[in-house]
Order: sequence, then structure tokens, then C-alpha cells
Amino acid sequence: MPAYPIGSAVAAVVVVCLELLWLRTGIFRQPAYWLSMVVVFAFMIPVDGWMSKVPNPIVVYDPDVLSGVRFPIDIPLEEFVYAFAMVTLAILLWERAGRGSHPAAAGRRT
Amino acid sequence: MGKYEYLALLAACVILTLPLEFVFRARVWRRPRRALRALLPVVVIFGVWDAVAIALGHWWFNPHFVTGIELPPGLPVEEIAFFVVIPLCALLTFEAIRNLLTRAQARR
Repeated sequence: MPAYPIGSAVAAVVVVCLELLWLRTGIFRQPAYWLSMVVVFAFMIPVDGWMSKVPNPIVVYDPDVLSGVRFPIDIPLEEFVYAFAMVTLAILLWERAGRGSHPAAAGRRT
Repeated sequence: MGKYEYLALLAACVILTLPLEFVFRARVWRRPRRALRALLPVVVIFGVWDAVAIALGHWWFNPHFVTGIELPPGLPVEEIAFFVVIPLCALLTFEAIRNLLTRAQARR
């Protein structure tokens, strides 16, 4: 069972629901969020590419848990979904932690 | 680099994003309590997922590239470092970009 793509997809859906239904920080409406994701994915390619390089990767997978698609380089494609979930969660929680009593000031306050 | 390779990779990420903190005034390192509130749940949630996956044999780490130090249960310290460093870099990026956009807007 491709547990990794399934798990990653579930995590991504949960994080999106967390934002849209509960936390409502509004990050999906912020261009800075989307630009950050582009930058994160861009840097993920060399970093994760190095970690998963064939041969001699740092991280080794049981092929049964993968989708089988490795792109770009040797990165399991589902890893981008995993990264989306992890990074979005961090940004969400950061935003929530910075929210003051004045909603309009969210993101500007320390 | 051998068994410090994974840690070295993460250290590189920290060093490369340090300018964002100061030059782009991201102020993530300098807001440690807020950063902790963002990072702690990520470390716990993804750390548990990771530990379970490792225990189930879904993935593992080439012993040549990790220190071998594991935080129970069976989680390489490098993975915990990963769950701290990568989101930290993302937060630095987010704040830096937001500052840049705010400054660009203010100049209109």
C-alpha cells in the first residue's frame, strides 16, 4: 500500500481544513504565503535531491510505500505534498501565534 | 562528511537563511516564543508520524550518513533537527517575503 502518498495527501487535506474551518488566519489569501511555497519547493529540489539521491541516499524507502514516481531527480513526488503539509502547518501556527486582539493587525504584530 | 552528512545539510540550510533574519528583518529567531509555538506542534506531529513509519519499516536512514544518535523511540536526532530547521527556514522566507512586499506596496 502506498502509505506515503496516502499519508501525505491526508496530512495536506487536514492542514487545509485546519486553516479554512478552524484557525482562519487568512494565509491562503496572502501572496507572501504562495511566494514562500514557491521558494520552499525551489530549495527543496537541491536539499531533498541530495537526501534521496540514487545511489547512496541519506533516506531509504521501502518501494511498496511509494507511488513510484520520482521527480525531479530522485525525489518521491509525494514528498512535495508532505512538504506542503508540514510547511503550511508551521506558517499557520506562526500566524495564529502572532494574532493580537485586533484582527487587522494579524501578521504585523510581534 | 560521513555520519555528519545529514546534520551538515541541515546546518547549511540554517546558515543560508540567516541573512533573511537580519538583512530582510524576518525576526523569526528574535521572536523565539512565537517560533516555538509554531515549531513545537510540527515537531511532535511529524516526529510521531516519522517514528511510526520507521518502526513499520516504511523508510530508514543510511547508517553511513547519520550519527546513530536516536531519541526514543527509534527517531534519529537528525529527523528532529529536520522538523525544526525546515519549518524555520520556511518561516524566515515567509516573513522576509512579506516584508519585501509590504515595502514595495508602501512605495506606491
